[in-house]
Amino acid sequence: MIIPNGGSLPRPRGDSPAAAPAASLGASSQARAEEIAVTWRPSRHARRLLTLAAAALLLAVLTRNAALAGVAGPPALLLGMARAGAARGSDRGPGRPARVSVRIGLTAARLYEGEPAAVDVTVQERDGQDPADPAAAAGQPGPAGPGWRLDARHGARWTLEPGSGIEPGSATAVNGSAARFTFAVSRWGKRALGTVTLTLHDRWRLAEGRVTFTLPSVDCYPSPAVQRTRVVLSKLPNRLGEHRARVPGDGTEFTGVREFVPGDRQRAINWPASTRRGRLQVNTFAAERSQDVVLLVDATSDVGKPGESALDLGLRGAAGAARAYLDARDRVGVITYQWGGAHWLAPSLGRRQVYKIIDVLLTADTGYARGAVFGRLPRAALPPGSLVVAFSPLLDGRFVEALRDMRERGVALIVVDVLNADPPARRLFADVAARRIWRMEQDAIRFSLRELGVPVVPWDGVTTLDLPLAPYTRRPLVTRR
Amino acid sequence: MSDMPELPPPLATPRAGVAAAVGSRLAALLLGAACIAWTATPALHSGLAKTALVVAIVAVTAGALRLATADIPQPEDSFFRPGYVQAWLTFLALLRTLAWEETAAVALLWLEVQHTSRPWHTAALGAGLLAYLLTTHIAESGTDAGPLLRRQAGVLAAGACLLALGAGFAMIPAAAPGAGSAILRVLAAAAVIAAAALVLPG
Repeated sequence: MIIPNGGSLPRPRGDSPAAAPAASLGASSQARAEEIAVTWRPSRHARRLLTLAAAALLLAVLTRNAALAGVAGPPALLLGMARAGAARGSDRGPGRPARVSVRIGLTAARLYEGEPAAVDVTVQERDGQDPADPAAAAGQPGPAGPGWRLDARHGARWTLEPGSGIEPGSATAVNGSAARFTFAVSRWGKRALGTVTLTLHDRWRLAEGRVTFTLPSVDCYPSPAVQRTRVVLSKLPNRLGEHRARVPGDGTEFTGVREFVPGDRQRAINWPASTRRGRLQVNTFAAERSQDVVLLVDATSDVGKPGESALDLGLRGAAGAARAYLDARDRVGVITYQWGGAHWLAPSLGRRQVYKIIDVLLTADTGYARGAVFGRLPRAALPPGSLVVAFSPLLDGRFVEALRDMRERGVALIVVDVLNADPPARRLFADVAARRIWRMEQDAIRFSLRELGVPVVPWDGVTTLDLPLAPYTRRPLVTRR
Repeated sequence: MSDMPELPPPLATPRAGVAAAVGSRLAALLLGAACIAWTATPALHSGLAKTALVVAIVAVTAGALRLATADIPQPEDSFFRPGYVQAWLTFLALLRTLAWEETAAVALLWLEVQHTSRPWHTAALGAGLLAYLLTTHIAESGTDAGPLLRRQAGVLAAGACLLALGAGFAMIPAAAPGAGSAILRVLAAAAVIAAAALVLPG
């Protein structure tokens, strides 16, 4: 799915459209245009003809066979024609352009994992001028004006060398002055699309000009997990929102009936109840509040298969949760916890916040930083009374300590366990024992968090987030200090 | 940010494109095989002829395999791959590195030299070899054969005339015995080729 500029929120993972043909991906926006010098050299075909002519002539002289000299005739003739005629453009064929203008366009510079996109490449001769042309030397415009299309007789051929993590969706070699290559990115991150080589030929196909240029990078966002329900705290900040609070207020949800006191609105009088009791009764309603949600992503360890690793699941889960809570007009912030320190974004509202959050998520780096230290999480990123949803494999002891510290400070916390890989299984007794100890240690970490009142729910990345969070989305989450 | 110009409509359906690619590669293989058969008959039993024949067969086969596997991408890195994958990648690299078509052309010319002089046969071989090289180029570049051949029709026709002239020179009886008259015939043929190259417009 393509993210429009200021458009609608991203659709969740699993709702992505099927691979679409290149034409259905829409028009592209120009990402880059540059002029590149063309380097001309003899083509492979020319080298073959030269070999044939030279071998035939040599054998003709050695064996004194004139028929072999005749065999050298056609290739020698072709080579001679190319040599004499290719350097100058004539009405019978184009010359060799010394420079070409290449334009690169992308249908989307930001996309989600697995989403099809396309890159368009177009070549034009530079202003239609040839340095060998006297008109060009005199400063006059070329025969077809600026930016004329490359002559079809140049036989332009594009070859795509996809970059790392780029999956081509179409043929990687295309003929013509313009080409469209479709691709998809399998894993989130900033990805270089690779390089494209443009090969031009002269009229005789005996000289070829090669131009190689680098394609721009794209930002691939993690596909957001599906989450339709939300965890709501029992104590909500005094701010207008959409969640039903326990205190009475001006919401729309009926909570009960009480006796009328001066100052109550007349329209709130419950006339049937007033008739039954003989005194005026008014309806009461629940207040509607919003909450602050902070998504905490543990990027200190990334285990598992690429594409299904703990960090992949964490980022997808965080993106899905951000979308779900922002849909409910909650203020959502994010903290990525990593070796180089924590990156964070203060809670805020609005659709734009989704993109800001995902941009922060993209900075997640699992690389080990020697000497890096992190203690407590930044206070500015954790407003009082906020709900913290942590996505972590719980493998880093310091992250677990940070969770305990937050809980002791009274923060409402829920942990989504994204560990979906085990140590490699071997038959050696020591390995089996180590694996068992590791498993017990992991169980102990989760048990200690539960004992502190921190719910830990496992998530495999395949099901929706609603399923593991179901026990906590049915009723408000009560947080005790 | 301006929209890119619209892409030109496709010239042919993908099915037609695949058929053209397969057709040109098959044509290159058949032309190579025809050149071998044309040159090898009548069969010679000398060591040099047999060697040239084997080299030609291997080169034409390898050239056809190179064209057939041209669309298989080469992976970025070849570390930590199983042995059979590594062997396959090495084989592909070998196919793509060596000059099989040039080798085949030289081997076929050498095989032709092993036979007794047969001027028209040699001229036909020259035409066949040129067609083989041109078809190989069409197959590997994916270009449209029709426009390319139309553009080069004049030169190819002149080349055919040169082939005929070369064969004709070879059939002229020697004016005097010895190597001198034979060399003169070769030089005359070469001079005609050079003159044609100079006279024909570029």
